[in-house]
Amino acid sequence: MPSATPSTTSSDKSKLHKLALKGSSKTVVEFFDFACNTILFQRGVYPPEDFTTVKKYGLNMMTSCDDQVKAYIKKIMSQLSKWMQKSKISKLVIVITSKETGEHVERWQFDVNIFQDPSKAKRTTSSGDKENTSPENQQSQSASVTSDKTDEDVQKDIQALFRQITASVTFLPMLDGNCTFNVLVYADADSEVPLEWGDSDAKEVKNAEKVMLRSFSTNNHRIDTVVSYRLAE
Amino acid sequence: MTATAWNADELDPLQQLTNNTIADMEVITPIKRRDGIFSTRFAGGRVPLTPSPKTPRTQVISQEVQTESIHHANASLMSRLQRSVSKPTRESPKSNIASRPSRDSPRRIDLGLSDFTLTGTGPRPSTAVSAKNTPSRARHGRATSTQRTPKRTQSKVNYTAADRFIPNRTASEAISTSGAAVKLDSNEQTPGRRPKSSASSDGSAVLAASAASAFDIGRPHSSSSHDASAGLSFEGLSLNDGQEDDEDEAPKTKASPNTVAYQQSVAEACGVSIKQRILAFKPAAPESSRPIDLRSQYNRPVKPAAASASQFRRRVLTAPERVLDAPGLVDDYYLNLLDWSSGNQVAIGLERNVYVWSAESGTVSSLLECPADTYISSVKWSGDGAYVAAGLGTGEVQIWDVEDGTKLRSMYGHDTRVSVMGWNKHVLSTGARSGLVYNHDVRIANHKIAELVSHTSEVCGLEWRADGAQLATGGNDNLVSIWDARHLNAPKFQKTNHKAAVKALAWCPWQSNLLATGGGSHDRNIHFWNTTSGARVNSIDTGSQVTSLRWSLGYKELVSSSGFPDNSLSIWSYPTLVKNIEIPAHESRVLHSALSPDGQMLATAAADESLKFWKVFEKKAGTANLAGLANTAAAKGLSKATTIR
Repeated sequence: MPSATPSTTSSDKSKLHKLALKGSSKTVVEFFDFACNTILFQRGVYPPEDFTTVKKYGLNMMTSCDDQVKAYIKKIMSQLSKWMQKSKISKLVIVITSKETGEHVERWQFDVNIFQDPSKAKRTTSSGDKENTSPENQQSQSASVTSDKTDEDVQKDIQALFRQITASVTFLPMLDGNCTFNVLVYADADSEVPLEWGDSDAKEVKNAEKVMLRSFSTNNHRIDTVVSYRLAE
Repeated sequence: MTATAWNADELDPLQQLTNNTIADMEVITPIKRRDGIFSTRFAGGRVPLTPSPKTPRTQVISQEVQTESIHHANASLMSRLQRSVSKPTRESPKSNIASRPSRDSPRRIDLGLSDFTLTGTGPRPSTAVSAKNTPSRARHGRATSTQRTPKRTQSKVNYTAADRFIPNRTASEAISTSGAAVKLDSNEQTPGRRPKSSASSDGSAVLAASAASAFDIGRPHSSSSHDASAGLSFEGLSLNDGQEDDEDEAPKTKASPNTVAYQQSVAEACGVSIKQRILAFKPAAPESSRPIDLRSQYNRPVKPAAASASQFRRRVLTAPERVLDAPGLVDDYYLNLLDWSSGNQVAIGLERNVYVWSAESGTVSSLLECPADTYISSVKWSGDGAYVAAGLGTGEVQIWDVEDGTKLRSMYGHDTRVSVMGWNKHVLSTGARSGLVYNHDVRIANHKIAELVSHTSEVCGLEWRADGAQLATGGNDNLVSIWDARHLNAPKFQKTNHKAAVKALAWCPWQSNLLATGGGSHDRNIHFWNTTSGARVNSIDTGSQVTSLRWSLGYKELVSSSGFPDNSLSIWSYPTLVKNIEIPAHESRVLHSALSPDGQMLATAAADESLKFWKVFEKKAGTANLAGLANTAAAKGLSKATTIR
């Protein structure tokens, strides 16, 4: 029962909704792409000379120009965009792992909240959807009421978030430069899963400090960013 | 991202490794695409009863399709046929609810009566019976009126489908959803009620379906009132579609309600959501090409120890120790007018004079003055510090005893200016503007012992290796030649990597087969060579004309002097190639440099007509020179630190 059909109102509206969702998903996936590149650069997973600057969000964004890394990220992002368009994703996580010890040293988590129709949102909360009843849901509800953001607003929000991600290297501990990374997604159980993807644990950082960064929202999604990192011994 | 694109590139083994994994991924893509086809059916969560999350459903489907019996295959084929027809004609929603709706319109009968209908009705084990029955009915339908027969065939289909339980379930559930209720409301009430009641049992579903279709037949299909809800009827349709494709694997994946409830309670108790799964992208991330030093990126170190290297980085004095005037210094990149002897004396050629400045006493004396029609083009101390060789613009080479202040001999041979010279014991090598290099044995009358032909333009760099086994020469033809002292008829290696004249040459004091060469203003690079194998081992782009290079004797560093645009001294660590410091040394380009015998001090002469002394390699107390003991033993007499008064 819980997965009631999302569009039972009128066909016109549902079409509009789908289109908006598609555009919003695109924005979000693009954001993930840049976020991934930025983190790989800022945290020294790959050497700085492997990156080039690209103007985006009114900033100079660093994106990898290494063919292998590019292909790897592209593969992830293309699958991600499929999932996003079907609203299957609730979290994207980039985990940085030490190659020497295999410990997870840093974890960048992007929570994806999908705005629903206000009436729907109410229904889900009242029906007690265990996973999403946290304050997030209420926020998404209120946000969805007020949200009618222009593209510029969204870009501005994302810019602010990237500034924060870049600035966060000042408080994050230094990595030893011998790290690799993994990408996790929290997907709905009924999502269809290509062979490259497999079940995993959450890869949490042990004894971690968490810092919540800015959020940004499109008309259909809100992305919350949390970075958790290992405390210095 | 295609495999061909990868292969086209030049790949190192590591790349190839990852390349393989990518190729693997490519192989599986067809399957993935297939998944995509199927998954559209489930898109949007429209399937009310989703299969267990634990089963990778997509694969099951693809297998089933292949291994299915003929009947099944035909059944699904038929259902697809129905769909293909029913979608464009916008059949009444009710018929959709009834799951096998659409064969009641006349148009559809033609299709329905095809062979597909025959086999389609036979998914039951007892195929013989049904196969026999249906054709007759179908034929009957064709023979008689359009109304009754299709209804019956249809109910038959429905029944068999119900027997296999999935489609029927959907039908009943679709009815019970609110969407269906809306549709029914838009029609008459009685048929609306019947399907609802049919949900109670499979058997009655047949009745309900037939009743529904009967109702449909009564009306012309797709009346105007249905158009509004057409979109919804599509929803219903796709619902059925999904389920039809599902019909074979659904029985396997569906757990009993009890099991589901149990799983749920267990999952809740464990704090795990069975509605969600964490997926990882399994292929390993590409390897980083090298470990990254994050210090370059504004990070605070976790451990103070990690920072120590940078904190205790050597401090280099950036102010000159002493500045002398060098009036009349010819501003010519190709000349070599400055040298520092092992006896701690500095010789400099200024126009027509060679001056010797004693670093010990600070006294200066003019050693020689050449004829008015020429000028001094190069100056070089012999290894023991007793003699100075002076090259002239005419091609003459004079050898002077410094202590006596007397000329010992003149050597002729070159007909162009001698711009560079180098001593190897009693052998003096001279490079001239013609591109020729001669070796002279200064002890004998017939002094010319070898002619080294390699350069086609002015030779401006020449350096013997400390052990005298190899000679490196650089020229205005952008060439670096490395000679074996035993075979001087041809160079051992000729290196064409520089894109401008090569004046700066320096042999590494701690690794005898390492040579550093620096190029002129169009090149700006320092290349490092293994002179045993001829391989280039490292390179630095300095950003400006390299006018000279000197290795430190005490540190694993070398200093380069720059021309335009920096006019600076740069100190590089080797082999990290990190620039430790850049000293803005002169106002115009630095032309020459020379290292003091103890290796601590660097003298630089620049086009601004000044001679400056820099303590760039100041020795730490109690550290020995990196250079071999041979040097230190020879220089024992002057082991006290160089002093400048």
